[in-house]
Amino acid sequence: MAKLMKNDLDRIKQAHQDTGKDWIKVGMSTCGIAAGADKVYDLFVEEVKKRKLDIQIKKCGCQGMCYSEPLVEVRVKGLPEVIYGRVDKEGVMKILDKHVCANTLVKDSIYELRTKR
Amino acid sequence: MDTKIVFIKDTNTKLDTTRDFYAHFLNLLRENALEDKVQVVRIADIGIYDQGLVVKFPDENIIYANVQDKDLKDIIAQTIKEGKVIKELLFKAQPKQLRIVLRNCGEIDPENIDEYIAQDGYQALAKVVSDYKPEQVIEELKKSGLRGRGGAGFPTWLKWKLTRETPEAQKYVICNADEGDPGAYMDRGVLEGDPHSVIEGLILAGYAIGASKGYFYVRAEYPLAVERVEKALKQAYDYGFLGKNILGSNFSFDIDIRLGAGAFVCGEETALIASIEGRRGTPRPRPPYPSVKGLWDKPTAINNVETLANIGPIILKGGSWYASIGTEKSKGTKVFALTGKVKNSGLVEVPMGITLREIVFDIGGGMLSDKGIKAIQTGGPSGGVIPKEYLDTPVDYENLQKLGSIMGSGGMIVMDEDDCMVDIAKFYLGFCVDESCGKCVPCRIGGYQMLSLLNKITESQGKIEDLDKLKRIALAMQKASLCALGQTAANPVVSTIKYFEEEYRDHIVNKKCRSHKCKHLLNYNVIQDKCKRCRVCVINCPVNAISGDKEAGFFVDPKTCIRCGKCFEVCKFNAIAKE
Repeated sequence: MAKLMKNDLDRIKQAHQDTGKDWIKVGMSTCGIAAGADKVYDLFVEEVKKRKLDIQIKKCGCQGMCYSEPLVEVRVKGLPEVIYGRVDKEGVMKILDKHVCANTLVKDSIYELRTKR
Repeated sequence: MDTKIVFIKDTNTKLDTTRDFYAHFLNLLRENALEDKVQVVRIADIGIYDQGLVVKFPDENIIYANVQDKDLKDIIAQTIKEGKVIKELLFKAQPKQLRIVLRNCGEIDPENIDEYIAQDGYQALAKVVSDYKPEQVIEELKKSGLRGRGGAGFPTWLKWKLTRETPEAQKYVICNADEGDPGAYMDRGVLEGDPHSVIEGLILAGYAIGASKGYFYVRAEYPLAVERVEKALKQAYDYGFLGKNILGSNFSFDIDIRLGAGAFVCGEETALIASIEGRRGTPRPRPPYPSVKGLWDKPTAINNVETLANIGPIILKGGSWYASIGTEKSKGTKVFALTGKVKNSGLVEVPMGITLREIVFDIGGGMLSDKGIKAIQTGGPSGGVIPKEYLDTPVDYENLQKLGSIMGSGGMIVMDEDDCMVDIAKFYLGFCVDESCGKCVPCRIGGYQMLSLLNKITESQGKIEDLDKLKRIALAMQKASLCALGQTAANPVVSTIKYFEEEYRDHIVNKKCRSHKCKHLLNYNVIQDKCKRCRVCVINCPVNAISGDKEAGFFVDPKTCIRCGKCFEVCKFNAIAKE
């Protein structure tokens, strides 16, 4: 591909501006994967496809709270951004059923609240 | 009307009453006919510890702490119904963490360069290649006061300046990602979560020094980090951040990856250079320093992963911004891998000058068990232990050194009363003895001899003069070893003797290990009053050391017993004594 020039940087930055779309982010560093994050990620992708939900599933690095891996950050419009910890198969279903589809936060599994930057 | 969201959590470490409080809250809401308008959410961790019941309104960012049941009525009447803040209950939470190095970790997809660019990635590079002279980059770093994050704390600007000023046409930069301290994984976190930030730092280093080639020396035990760095390098080449004429400028730069073959000593800069050159990874005497004669005898700057991840933000926001964070001599932030007997283990990034107590109790959430904190180990096998009396020491390079430990690369292991300090010293020294390359005598022989003395002490054969011997060998190792591995290998022993000499004496004189860790100093016995004669211990003992019958009771034969602790584990009635 063509090499970038300085203003191309701004163009890419513009194109990746936050569009306010809903997403789910799974922490996929060694610590997360060791705790089962890859299975959680696959299950999210599969379930979202099956239920035809309009939500993006993303990967990210380690959020730092290794004691509660796998970590899943969820942003759904109208609800605060939260990070769920120790997410397993059941947790994935709960997050999709309650948080994504019913606008209700899942109890007892939120480990961090993102304050807007 | 939208539903209002309320987070609740009981932050008492001993007894968690969140569920009772939740039920009470719901009842009150029902009485006020608000149950459809308010969503009460029990959460697992609210980031505040030991402040009683905490109620948080995320939309308004109101936090109430030490809430009593009786306060709930006021909260519902004033805050929920009328949106008023109750000043008496308000809790002002100071964010303790400050993320510069970890700014994108957990935020962006590490395998997508566009997401890094969207977070102002490679902007520093664009700024530098078009507007800055190399000297200006070094000047900016000098202003920032950034010091090497690999452990020794050498000023980064000076390292770069010395390398730049050495007259040679070919120069190199190396990123040292051979992280090997037990319990430390900061570099892995950064490389896996945000590899581009390190690559950008390395390119900037190359520009400032006048190098045309850089190396990533990553340990092979981090396959995911290697994979992500490889991907990131390919993307950077595709976009033209690497290669010829970067971003349309005259500056050209290439990066290659080299995998470390598993030796701890290869994190030492001269051994690392030897390893890249294809030789056996052993250190050589310095001077000449790598900034004068490094890789293939050319001037070379070697920087740690974390140091390099700091460069981008310093260029973008300015050196004086960075210098405004931290203490007088140690600027900026430091990433620690908080592990051991602490509740919230993980990666934390804190401004320099924060106290150890704040790290362990405010960020780490306190101790894992109800055993009290005994000490904190920093700096891995090159560092030392800091006893609990010094928990209020502000963390910076000088203070930790004064206490007989070092900042190191950032491992921080919390220990409680169950940890035996002699055993800890033995563990770290054993690590260094295993990893010693054997080139110089003080490290090769000294380490081995110290380890056998420690083994003697923990096996109840210790003599009181062994303490002096340990100190003397340690001094010789510190003074005469060739590289930092040997010079610092004795640190864990020296610092534990300094602060916990009593415990050593206990092992030697009284033949007792107060933490019940050293199994040669332990005896297992059946407490007859508590014993229910269930025979579980008899069945589980692998060497049949427990005998007796239901009438006379059971006894452990100390001669046959191998101190495996199986009986202690399986006894349901706590009837086995360990002493």
